Amino acid sequence: MGVLGGALARAVEANGPLDANGQLQDPALQARFERVVKDLRCLVCQNESIADSNVELASDLRRQVREMLVAGKSDDEIFDFMTDRYGEFVRFNPPVDRKTALIWGAPFIVLLLGVVIIVRIVRGRSRMPLDDEPSPGPL
Amino acid sequence: MWKFLLPFAAFIALAVLFAFGLNPKRDIHALPSPLIGKPAPSIALTDVMDPARPVNNAEFKGQVYIVNVWGTWCEACREEHAALLEIAQQKVVPIIGLVYQDQREKAKQWLEQLGNPYSAVAFDTDGRTAIDWGVYGAPETFLVDSRGRIIYKFISPMTPEVWQREFLPRIAAARGAGA
Repeated sequence: MGVLGGALARAVEANGPLDANGQLQDPALQARFERVVKDLRCLVCQNESIADSNVELASDLRRQVREMLVAGKSDDEIFDFMTDRYGEFVRFNPPVDRKTALIWGAPFIVLLLGVVIIVRIVRGRSRMPLDDEPSPGPL
Repeated sequence: MWKFLLPFAAFIALAVLFAFGLNPKRDIHALPSPLIGKPAPSIALTDVMDPARPVNNAEFKGQVYIVNVWGTWCEACREEHAALLEIAQQKVVPIIGLVYQDQREKAKQWLEQLGNPYSAVAFDTDGRTAIDWGVYGAPETFLVDSRGRIIYKFISPMTPEVWQREFLPRIAAARGAGA
């Protein structure tokens, strides 16, 4: 990171952190940038990430992410910065914690419920008399 | 017995869920702000009328004040402007305007034509202050208490009814608490 940081600092001094295509000059940083902006929701359009959205807020937030990456911030620090301001909703992949446990756990709870119901039904049926057994009643 | 009660209970649960989830009055775009209860981010910008004059919300520390985010591109802001003028007349709290994603000239014209309800109007040149405040649209209106904490955020055009119902009681409570 030291060598990389040094090289980056020089690059920043030379032509800013961006190359001619508007990409971060450091490919590793650019890859992280692309990953991070895909996980951040554009709150104006809500179902788009800030990577896909053209609204001004999304471009402001992309600039913010780029600057934080260049400043050496970690992905988590960037996500924390965003959730501190916009709430968990800004992330497409919210971390598993106490508040989101129900959301992440709900599919498994429903699955378990389904298994319990099926087991009960099957057990109930197996105790019923078979149709072709001779009826014990008088006839 | 439970065999009959269970579907009924499930029906009630679903009905309650839908009553909240599909309520047409609920604005699905209004997101709760994580900044409620937190110290208000600083506004250190310049006046929309005069780029040489600084506007800083630190000057309002110690009193309850309002921050109203707007832009001339925002139709709903035009809609709420009359309400803001009316509120400013009551002189209950100072209103700081934050001009968002806009041009100085346009904002200036807007205030000259429609009137200026603001005690100070900050011009956010690059959207950084708006990001700090978690702004994602306009109009947005924040209420800050005298300790400099955000106590309420309203996302939608301000109306006299909203002011009466949502803001005045909170302002009274913030003052009553001696805060």
